[in-house]
Amino acid sequence: MNMNYSHVPIAIGNHKKINSMSKKTFFTLAIALSAFFTANAQCDSIASLCRKNISKQYISDGQSYRALLVNQEVAEFSATFFGGSTYRIAACSGFSDGNLIFSIYDQDRNLLFTNSEHKNAPYWDFKLNSTLNCTIEAQLNSTGGTSGCAVLFVGFKQK
Amino acid sequence: MVSSTLTRLRNLVWSAAIVSLFLAGCDGCDRDPKPNPDGPTPPDTANQVVSVGGALFSIPSPVQTSMLIKETGAKYNNGMLNSAKNAEKYTTKYKKALNVGVYGADVGYVTLYDNSQDALGYMKSVRKLSDELGILGAFDATTIDRFQSNLGKKDSMLAMVGNAYRASDAFLKDKDKNDVGVLILAGGWIETLYFTTTIAQSSSNPRVMERLGEQKYTLDNLIKALNPYRGQEEIAGLLDQLYELAYDFDAVAVEYKYVKPTTDEANKITTINSTSKVTITKEHLKSISDKIAAIRNTIIG
Repeated sequence: MNMNYSHVPIAIGNHKKINSMSKKTFFTLAIALSAFFTANAQCDSIASLCRKNISKQYISDGQSYRALLVNQEVAEFSATFFGGSTYRIAACSGFSDGNLIFSIYDQDRNLLFTNSEHKNAPYWDFKLNSTLNCTIEAQLNSTGGTSGCAVLFVGFKQK
Repeated sequence: MVSSTLTRLRNLVWSAAIVSLFLAGCDGCDRDPKPNPDGPTPPDTANQVVSVGGALFSIPSPVQTSMLIKETGAKYNNGMLNSAKNAEKYTTKYKKALNVGVYGADVGYVTLYDNSQDALGYMKSVRKLSDELGILGAFDATTIDRFQSNLGKKDSMLAMVGNAYRASDAFLKDKDKNDVGVLILAGGWIETLYFTTTIAQSSSNPRVMERLGEQKYTLDNLIKALNPYRGQEEIAGLLDQLYELAYDFDAVAVEYKYVKPTTDEANKITTINSTSKVTITKEHLKSISDKIAAIRNTIIG
């Protein structure tokens, strides 16, 4: 029986290449996954600090808003705030205050508020007489780091 | 859908890698961005906007509308609620997630009306379903014990519910289970809209009618938040129902007028003076009510 083994060396060669590629892929994936979990852990730590800005008289809206930002990327959040309520928005990045700039625009793109006019305050309250359909934009303070986790929390109370 | 998920995961992982390498490279130096020494930085709106799945869309807390319902003097109506016992019959991830949201709205409603024991029953159902969904930490035994020890203290109970749902949302985002998180939000919103239409039909209270009309914004956000997961058959079905509902909401007129806000710097508070006026006809109320009842029935049934 004459068996053709011509494919075998190729297979071995491919196997070596695949092994080499697999190692690289595995190594890259391992670093990336490690980085992913590190970044998540960093977000969790920032969130833990940021939550303290939502004081007891405010009820959480039940959501945790977070985004990994690089350079001057802007995270955009669409939100509806109901009239007759007072809201508190807390916005943090890093482990000290003032690292995140957040701005609120109405549906016609009128700027309603930006904390950059208030020393990048980590939280601010908003009293609404009427319901507002708005966009919240968050970005890292340009003079700070080049990347980081942006965390936002929203709490509310009846007027 | 799988390709889209992988792409998003890859982007997320690489973003995380960049963050991690930045942190590693900065060992020993100040990791926090420094405040701008030159004063306030105006926002640069020309920058790239980041999309992070369902995280981009905020859905108002169900508790807020229940607060409004109570303020209007509406009587307690447990006929509007999903029975806590129904938790036993939800076997799919889809139904479990939606009903974690439904029960969240129910627990808020019964708490506001001082029915503490009912609230505890709902929290136990939430715990059962969230355990089955693999949501760790948010509704664990400690949370239930704390909730139980605060029965009768309405403010504390509502705060605990809000914090527990926020912890659940964070957990699901950490684990890249945004689809479950968005379904929970959808369930809460649908249950609240069901409350609102039920009260609006029986009382025609103008504040409730207005709140109903205002839900058109949230419905748009909810559709956008669910849309990345329309590859899942059940979510596609829900989206189709929500699109039908959106056609009715399109007929709701909202007249918005911008008015310059006023800020009290010392107290860190800004009053938003802009106004909006909602107009909704009884015909549209009926149509929206019928549709939301049908959607809810498929969720809790």
